[in-house]
Amino acid sequence: MDRTTIQDMVYQTCLLLDDKNFDAFLDLCDEGFRYSITTHSPEIRKDMIWLDHDKKGMQNLFTQLPRHNSDHSPITRHAIVYKVDVDEGRKEADVVSALQVYKTDLDGGATALFAVGKYVDTIRFEGGKPKLAKRVVKLDTRMLGIGYHIPF
Amino acid sequence: MSKTAAQWHETPKFPSSHYVDSRIYTDQQLFEEERQRIFNKTWYIACHESEIPNAFDYRTFQHPGGTPLIIVRGEDMKVRAFYNICPHRGNTLLYDPSGNAKRITCIFHAWSFDTQGNCTDISREEQGYQKRFCKADAGLREVKSETGYGGFIWVNVDDNCVPLKTFIGDAMGELDPYIGMPLEVFHYHRAIVDTNFKLWHDTNSEFYHDYMHYFNRVTGMMQLGYFDRKCVGYDNGHVLVGSMEIKYDAYAGSKERGIGWPGLAQGGWILIDLFPGMTYNLRTSVLRMDTMIPLSPNKVMIEYRGLGLKSDTPAERAQRIFDHNTIWGPFGRNLHEDLLGVHGQGRAMRPGTDSRWVLQGREENSTIHDEVGMRHYYAEWSRLMGRKAFDPYGERRVSAAA
Ligand code: FES
Ligand SMILES: [Fe+2]
Repeated sequence: MDRTTIQDMVYQTCLLLDDKNFDAFLDLCDEGFRYSITTHSPEIRKDMIWLDHDKKGMQNLFTQLPRHNSDHSPITRHAIVYKVDVDEGRKEADVVSALQVYKTDLDGGATALFAVGKYVDTIRFEGGKPKLAKRVVKLDTRMLGIGYHIPF
Repeated sequence: MSKTAAQWHETPKFPSSHYVDSRIYTDQQLFEEERQRIFNKTWYIACHESEIPNAFDYRTFQHPGGTPLIIVRGEDMKVRAFYNICPHRGNTLLYDPSGNAKRITCIFHAWSFDTQGNCTDISREEQGYQKRFCKADAGLREVKSETGYGGFIWVNVDDNCVPLKTFIGDAMGELDPYIGMPLEVFHYHRAIVDTNFKLWHDTNSEFYHDYMHYFNRVTGMMQLGYFDRKCVGYDNGHVLVGSMEIKYDAYAGSKERGIGWPGLAQGGWILIDLFPGMTYNLRTSVLRMDTMIPLSPNKVMIEYRGLGLKSDTPAERAQRIFDHNTIWGPFGRNLHEDLLGVHGQGRAMRPGTDSRWVLQGREENSTIHDEVGMRHYYAEWSRLMGRKAFDPYGERRVSAAA
């Protein structure tokens, strides 16, 4: 498993999520996939979990999106892979990427930074094909205005 | 039939208690008056006791009347509140939102204060002030504070205020039996929204907007008994918005919830709006608290807290967090919809948009699609402001006399 393959995997998830191609995104995920968004609150001095789903939970969330009222301004994920630790024994790689999320107003097209944080991913490469086994979105940004329905 | 300009401006065909002038949501002068006549006179939730569990723990709080505050637990374990303003040259005393400070020392010229508000050190006191001024002259401004109603820490910047108990009256009666045990905050986040603070409170005071929430439509509105529950108004503008039972299994992926809340029926929901901008929201397994800090007529900062029981096991806490996030987190289904709603109102009601009236005219025997909760709120608002919400500038009288 070389670094390029791993990087491509991270970038591919960004492109697919940006395109709202959720099925293709889930195809990249392992059956035991776990997705969470976490952050730390200095106000209450606690680590917080803001979202936590398994693959089925993510599937549900994506399926229900059209039934909800949402801000339709699209978001753009910019990731840069900072660190790749391949563990051949575990057949997994731990990958840390810097993440910036921009939101572009549907009306007028102004773009503003929405959030910064990190993707902390576990990529499994059993059977040749890499799969995303776990993603923790560690947010530095905690003020997300009116919020957003689609996970980063 | 669409309306002409004249028809658009015509007073609504309701009693004057059943609509308000949109300008109460946008006017700078009214906003300043709200700060003085309402927020600087009322009890307000600053934080929760679990945020400052130990001696010398502190939290800062942006009081809705405008003044920054410090909430600190003393060595005697008593909680006190002070202005977060140095009596020397007005610097902010504590910069971090939380921490532990045996001594509160101003970074500017190193004056120090203890957790009872006494000045304990003035650097080079004698040299600069001789005998003209001393530590006894330099205490912090203390603000009244009380702890209660689920362990929240309340403050009131008015030295002549009534006790918290008098302010609350009977409004918390429905919730009191469920929040007597020690609670703990597990979630905190803020949203700053370009809208008037009252519009958020309006949203919290009716369930008619369940039309906006797919989640609530299927888990609540389509269920038997949904329309049975009533809104009850209490003294001082507080409102209980009818409680109900939620059928969570009606929303795909949302199983019947296991842990619930001690004493509360499975799927139970109790919501109490406290005037002028706090909401207790106990739903199934989580207590949510909204506190609003108005920043300008068209900007509000809302603080969101999620609370569980202090005695939670890790598994119980994890379930509460999951339940909370599904609907109420920053990525939750309902919170975003609610915020989208008030954000849209803020956009449509900006000065100059010719928004004219906000109707609160639904009457449904005080059940939860009745807009009686808002009417109750604006009656109190009008009383405290000395202005009528439907005619804030007294124009009606003038035109009647003309
Ligand atoms: S402003 Fe605080 S010590 Fe001078
Ligand atoms: Fe809502």
